[in-house]
Amino acid sequence: MATIKRYGFVIDVSRCIDCRACLVACSVENNVPLDHTRIWVHELDIKGEFPNLSRTFVPYNCMHCEEPPCVEVCVSGATYKDKSNGLVLVDQEACIGCGYCVEACPYGARYLDQNRGVVDKCNGCIQRVEAGMQPACVATCVGGSRMFGDLNDPNSEVSIALKNARSIIRLDYEKDGEDTDPNIYYINAEGMEDPLVLQSGVLPHDPKYTLPESAWNKVLKPAMFAAVGGAFLVQAVYFTKQLIEGEKEFEE
Amino acid sequence: MERKAISRREFLKLGSLSLGAVAASQFIAPQAARAARLHTDDPNGDGYIPTMCEMCVWRCGVRARVKDGRVVKLEGNPDNPHSKGKLCARGQSGLMNTYDPDRVLLPLVRAGKRGEGLFRKASWDEALDITAKGMLKIKERYGPEAMVFSSTHNLSQVQFENLLNGFGSPNYGTQRSLCFNAMIVANLMTYGMEEPGRDYSQVKYIILTGRNLTEAISTSETGELMDALARGAKVVYLDPRFTKTASKATEWCPIRPGTDLAFHLALINVIISENRYNKQFVDAYTTGFDELAASITDYTPEWAAPITGIGAEVIRRIAHEFSDAAPYALAHNGWRTSNFINSFPTERAITILNALVGNWGVTMFPAAGEGSGGLGKPPQPPYPRISALRLDGVPWKYPFVPLKLGIFQQMRDAILEGQPYQAHGWFIARQNPVLSLPDRQRTLQALGKMDFIAVVDIIPNDTAWFADVILPEASYLERYDPLLPMGDKAWLRQPVIEPRGEARSALMIYKELGERLGLGDYFQYKDEIDYLNQELAPLGLTFEDIRTQGYAQLPSGEPDLDKWSTPSGKIEIYSSTLEKGKFDPLPKWQEPPQPKPGTFYLLTGKVGQHTQFGTQNNQLLHKYQDDPRLWMNAEAAQNLDLRDGDLVLVTSEVGEVKVAIHATTAIRSDCVYLTPGFGHLSKGLRTAYGVGASDSVLHVTYVDPISGGQALSQTFVSVKKA
Repeated sequence: MATIKRYGFVIDVSRCIDCRACLVACSVENNVPLDHTRIWVHELDIKGEFPNLSRTFVPYNCMHCEEPPCVEVCVSGATYKDKSNGLVLVDQEACIGCGYCVEACPYGARYLDQNRGVVDKCNGCIQRVEAGMQPACVATCVGGSRMFGDLNDPNSEVSIALKNARSIIRLDYEKDGEDTDPNIYYINAEGMEDPLVLQSGVLPHDPKYTLPESAWNKVLKPAMFAAVGGAFLVQAVYFTKQLIEGEKEFEE
Repeated sequence: MERKAISRREFLKLGSLSLGAVAASQFIAPQAARAARLHTDDPNGDGYIPTMCEMCVWRCGVRARVKDGRVVKLEGNPDNPHSKGKLCARGQSGLMNTYDPDRVLLPLVRAGKRGEGLFRKASWDEALDITAKGMLKIKERYGPEAMVFSSTHNLSQVQFENLLNGFGSPNYGTQRSLCFNAMIVANLMTYGMEEPGRDYSQVKYIILTGRNLTEAISTSETGELMDALARGAKVVYLDPRFTKTASKATEWCPIRPGTDLAFHLALINVIISENRYNKQFVDAYTTGFDELAASITDYTPEWAAPITGIGAEVIRRIAHEFSDAAPYALAHNGWRTSNFINSFPTERAITILNALVGNWGVTMFPAAGEGSGGLGKPPQPPYPRISALRLDGVPWKYPFVPLKLGIFQQMRDAILEGQPYQAHGWFIARQNPVLSLPDRQRTLQALGKMDFIAVVDIIPNDTAWFADVILPEASYLERYDPLLPMGDKAWLRQPVIEPRGEARSALMIYKELGERLGLGDYFQYKDEIDYLNQELAPLGLTFEDIRTQGYAQLPSGEPDLDKWSTPSGKIEIYSSTLEKGKFDPLPKWQEPPQPKPGTFYLLTGKVGQHTQFGTQNNQLLHKYQDDPRLWMNAEAAQNLDLRDGDLVLVTSEVGEVKVAIHATTAIRSDCVYLTPGFGHLSKGLRTAYGVGASDSVLHVTYVDPISGGQALSQTFVSVKKA
């Protein structure tokens, strides 16, 4: 979906030290309840034989997909992709708390706040960004791993980081030729070279939500995601530097 | 009988009642913060207030966002060299210390037995009167030296020292002997300064000896290390454990515990024997090279290999790479360096390695230290002459331990043994010796010997739990402290909200207590702002001038690059001071004790989400911490028929704890590691209580004869299924 700006994250995996400053900063900035979180650092299993060990930390949050499954299943229209900045946002006034989007997100990036009866997730700290600040997680990233900005702007920090990256990985979730086309780009991610490095059950996962067709037969698009059972293909898509430089839309 | 006179609702059973809720209901809502809303470039238009973090001792600059009298967000101050616009997880969580539901919000006086957790509310006047009376009674009966004072590394430390010096007690317990005595004393002997500064801007090669910078975080330095790595600098990391730093380092050497000294002696051997040292620098600026060269001939890589478990060819290669990279090379001297009996010579070897390659002025430079930086202070009359010996044996038994460092574990043992005299009272400010000192059982016994214990803190920590009086301090977001000179600026801590409850600043607690002790002349300031104005007076500034930007500019003055405050005025490879003290003037190999078959080295360390023993009750850090576990090599666990998550009994010669194991490849098979900082005793800490186990229960007490350091990784434990 073409938007004026395309806000996204570039995460330099080689610089994440799993200190969790981003997690705490996000919780405070966004009043996230103590029993929930909007962002994560996934600790991959230690690889290798002692003493030749390696370990990788993968920060993640809402991928602000170009083709977000959560938007497609939202029955109230509360979850939407912002046309001006490309962020996937939740209008919590309109959210009815049905939780379908929570189940539909293959990245597990949403939670249902039972107390407020609404769904919550990373909003790119749009309240800060609009005031000229970085998202809370990016502003305080001790290792200098997290970056945020407009991927449509070739001069933004994120676009420059992509141009200079040694390697780039995205965690696409693909099914039936449809791709979530996520807007988190992992760079310098040597430890993530195996496309299945994010083990099953972690990221991305099969949507758990199965649409009861009899009840929701008017909601046609979600059914596409829900009706197919069995194995889903998890694919990490590799982009070569040349491809990135040549193609602005970052499509295969 | 007496207890019946107090109505039931005046008792506060910490931990069973919600202290925070009870206390909060007693007081009117906090007024709007006195501090100005100064800047308006934040999204909510409420502005932020510049102040200083206190979640560890790195002291980052903070910008606090305040809304309707509440702190809603903390940001790193981009102007401050220690934060550079960032805060770590602890710094980000700092407001939860202030809003901890377990905060002590009003003075409390013990109403039950010690350790029972039953306290009654008291007014400040009553609590301070009781404290002063308790201290004066001890002074009159046993002399001022029978009162022990302990506190560590606060900005208000100068007034704490004023209190103890004015009172006339020599007994000052910092916790530094549990931390960095070995590093500080080694630097003093070699460079004549406590800790030289480090500069990563040009560094190409770094050896980190157990300096776990990505988990024991110093915000700016951790960032600089990551910048250096991204630039292509090589980082060699020595640690028996595959920490997060090990996973980021270019090369991890899982060295056998206690043998860092052998590794560094072998590096020195290669660099000297192959003429890889900086002869010009060594000739001009150091003393004792020839003696060193003669003393290290046996310390070859082949000698060090079986000791350290690191191949001779690896050691030789690292020596080559390090000297090739010089002067853009840095051997980091570590921070918490109280590990083994040979920690002091290890630190000496590191300082000498740096001197040999001449990295001074490139990756290492003179540190400004913690001087007054041209600031003033309130007038102080001379202190009473103290004739009593210090309980910790400094300097009469341990001549090289700086008085302001001291030997905390020795002081505890002297209290327990009543030697050279019996102490009877303990005044403790924001310190938790019950968890920090080795051999917790002995610490609790020492507390039991006290006639009177007063604790200043913001939460009912484990030591407060055993106190007679708890004086509630304002949190760092609620109070002023003395200015902190750092480089060319003096940084301001100022309240961003009104103190919750009746909490007060340490500056005012010490003053008001001092006045009751007849020491009013030592506290010649009306209030905190008056104190700050007296500090700023020599600069021609007032508090009002600096509150907006949060710092005062100090007169510039670069420290001399080639002046070292040693007896020779040079970098002393051969230490004449150590020689006078009849200690080895050069680092020599010393084999530390090893675990008997069937036992393991018990390693200690740090996690990125907590500081020492003080932050485990912070709900935001609790939210994002890993479960505290005993790390054990997966194969070693299998040999003991243990599986990941099994509950085990961990036994040392002084204690036993029960904890779940984390079976992992990330640790040597002869070691276990217990997540530090947990195992709290205080039921008043409702988030932290009952979580994990305390390594202080297991740690065996040791005192290094030169530096006074404890040996925190020199405890051996057996592990069996619980």
